[in-house]
Amino acid sequence: MLDVWLGGIQSLLQVRELMFLALGMAIGLMFGAIPGLGGATALALLMPLTYGLEPFTALALSGGVMGAVPMGGSITAILLNTPGTAPNAATCLDGYPLAQQGKAGLAIGAAASANAIGGIIGTLSVLAVLPIAKDLVLLFGPPEFFLLATFGLVTTATASRGKVLRGLISGGLGLMISFIGYNEVMGGERFTFGVDYLWDGVHLVPALIGLFAVAEMINLSVRGGAVSSNAGAVKITSMAGGLLETFKHWPTVLRGSLVGTVVGAIPGVGGVVAAFLSYSMTVQASRNPESFGKGNIQGVIAPEAAINAKDGSALIPTLAFGIPGGAEMAVFLGILVLHGMQPGPMMLSQHQTEIYGLVWALTLSCILASFIGLLFVRPLAMITLVDSKILVPIVLCVAMVGSYAIDTNIENVVLTAAFGILGYLMIRFDYPRLTVVIALVLGATAERSFHQSLMIGDGHYSVFFTRTICQILIACIVAWLTWPLLGGFFRTRKSVVLGREGRR
Amino acid sequence: MGPGERRHHARKNAPTRRDLIAAVGLAAPALLLSRTASAAQEDFPAKDITFIIPYSAGGGFDNYVRAIAPVMEKYLPNKVSIVPTNVASGNGSRGINQLYRAKPDGATIGIFNIPGMFILQQEGGAGYDLAKFTWLGGMGHDNYGIGVAWGSPIKSVADLRTLSQTRPVKFTTTGPEGTAYAATLIGAELLGIKAQLITGYKGSSDYVVGAIRGDGDAVVTTLPILRRMREGQALRILATFESHGSEKDAGDATTLGQPELGQIVLERLIGAPPGVPTRIQAILADALAKTMTDPQVVAWAQTAGVDLKTETADEAARIVRDQAAFFTKWKKVLIAG
Repeated sequence: MLDVWLGGIQSLLQVRELMFLALGMAIGLMFGAIPGLGGATALALLMPLTYGLEPFTALALSGGVMGAVPMGGSITAILLNTPGTAPNAATCLDGYPLAQQGKAGLAIGAAASANAIGGIIGTLSVLAVLPIAKDLVLLFGPPEFFLLATFGLVTTATASRGKVLRGLISGGLGLMISFIGYNEVMGGERFTFGVDYLWDGVHLVPALIGLFAVAEMINLSVRGGAVSSNAGAVKITSMAGGLLETFKHWPTVLRGSLVGTVVGAIPGVGGVVAAFLSYSMTVQASRNPESFGKGNIQGVIAPEAAINAKDGSALIPTLAFGIPGGAEMAVFLGILVLHGMQPGPMMLSQHQTEIYGLVWALTLSCILASFIGLLFVRPLAMITLVDSKILVPIVLCVAMVGSYAIDTNIENVVLTAAFGILGYLMIRFDYPRLTVVIALVLGATAERSFHQSLMIGDGHYSVFFTRTICQILIACIVAWLTWPLLGGFFRTRKSVVLGREGRR
Repeated sequence: MGPGERRHHARKNAPTRRDLIAAVGLAAPALLLSRTASAAQEDFPAKDITFIIPYSAGGGFDNYVRAIAPVMEKYLPNKVSIVPTNVASGNGSRGINQLYRAKPDGATIGIFNIPGMFILQQEGGAGYDLAKFTWLGGMGHDNYGIGVAWGSPIKSVADLRTLSQTRPVKFTTTGPEGTAYAATLIGAELLGIKAQLITGYKGSSDYVVGAIRGDGDAVVTTLPILRRMREGQALRILATFESHGSEKDAGDATTLGQPELGQIVLERLIGAPPGVPTRIQAILADALAKTMTDPQVVAWAQTAGVDLKTETADEAARIVRDQAAFFTKWKKVLIAG
């Protein structure tokens, strides 16, 4: 095993491969930062250019792009509340409030280090499980997908502490929106009103751009001023503090990385679920959950660690069976096929050096991108001091153009505007956007998997209770729902006992 | 009428200078347009050509187009680029609709999934008519086959029939508007297998893995995918829908006594909007035919394990007519399924 790992590194550490990796990293950073573009667009544009390259060089270039995109996305998420990529929407929740407090450097520093550590943990996990990748992918079927989606919905519902009813309303709204489009199980369109664009459902990236970027710009223009009113607090030293925060909160990093690794390996679930699930679990595990959404640094560390960890493990179903974990992996599949590498059970035995080299390329790109992000923290943080009269029109233009650029659909722009208004109303009336997003992402998966499970189980619900992974997931759901009650009970009991001992 | 009166009458009715200017003003644009149109045909191609792919980047159809587009440029009379453009939505109907409504000047062409696009048209509301497109040729087709998980106790199509006498055989497949869904229903009907379809899988990799995992008993999919999975000992091939099978120990349409199975294929045709002038169609069709035999494309096909066959424009039109007739015949089975 070790010789294969080393073979992959050795093949990567050639001048030509490193140059293409660096090029891919630069492109990935840029495309990740611009809303609506992202890794899928970057890879799609680069695909014809890879035609003349050696397969390994093409993989180094692709790995460079994929490893750097999350860092690019987190910068705009923190500074402008504009997620560069869909998973970075989770970073907006606490990253942007930190920027508003003049702590953009702290947030970007934490994001960079969480990115790097998450990427390393994700890589090590992938290297360890690649030999059994095929068997791992086969463990998860529709019943497991349904319970995983349910677990995701439960974690976000419980994260809305203090406004549970509003959280449930938001979640319900997200579920209703997720059901728009073609019904893949029974056929037929639902709630599309004859509009072709809605056949595939509400497009996620334009919706997120609207919900976060446009909504916040509307809020900023109503409020006036700049993103940060505290110019004195925008200090370079806070970047170093950000790096240290990640190490101070190592359980959060570890949790996020593991969530990202596990969720990333499940086909069709994607980075958005990994990021938001990691965030929700961190909120739930925190002793101070009310501080989340108001600038808690752990709210940046958790999703960022998950996002980069998922990149490595998303390769598992992609390479083992050709099932992409998201749009970026789907395009990457095309690059593999173009270079004569057919994803499938034989891929891992016939192209071992290339695969391990790709994993190392992803990791190296992730670390380098984090470093580059840190170098530009100070000038980037200055964006938070720009007056809203200048910033709002620029960000709105970038958001709308980015939304259009996803697949050159003008309907994307309309959708972004609509979700922008919805997002502003949610900010104005204090409804959590987190639950809308997670319900929007998981709703269709939950419904489809539920129906498929019943078809597999001949209509019997026992299909959800007789499989081992399902039983583990049910236990996790029950534990998650009961932990706050049990935790409260034990804390009350402890304070009563301490009170009695104090009186004696 | 006297001579003077005749001269007066002639002068009165003679065209005036204003009449002559009006006549030139009306005739000139018409002459200019006809000259422009024929000049455009003479100069074709004068601008870049958009190659519409009605699916997302990275998929099978996307790979085919991106492999041939740069090579096809070489065989056009003028130096222009062929730009692959993904227009994905509505299971491909959006891209095909865009092609259907494009200007018939040869500047837009597209790749078609037949019978997928026909099934959407048959459902109603697709917005296009496949019979009206200008066909340029094809990139070959993939036959379908039946596979079961490597460790499955089912060893033959006869075993599937026997099983279906006790309970429906479960096949994993896509949603009701997918090509695989139609192939599975028609194939099962022809083979006398009572089938229950487990639908909702998003793509071919997804439902094939579903079968490997044991969600269903069997799967109907294209032969390249079945062979890839067989190579990795994930699936066994029970039968192919070819007239004369290429797989040892697997049945085919002839040995199974169902020659109609050979009509269940996935065709990759290339076409242009309705009404493209014949001369432009000939240029594009010729360029496509030469591309398919170009050494670079042949080498790519061998590396990628793709079975490329050249189909002419007339053959492509015939394929569309034959597939339309076949799937119209099976419409009731597809709706009932």
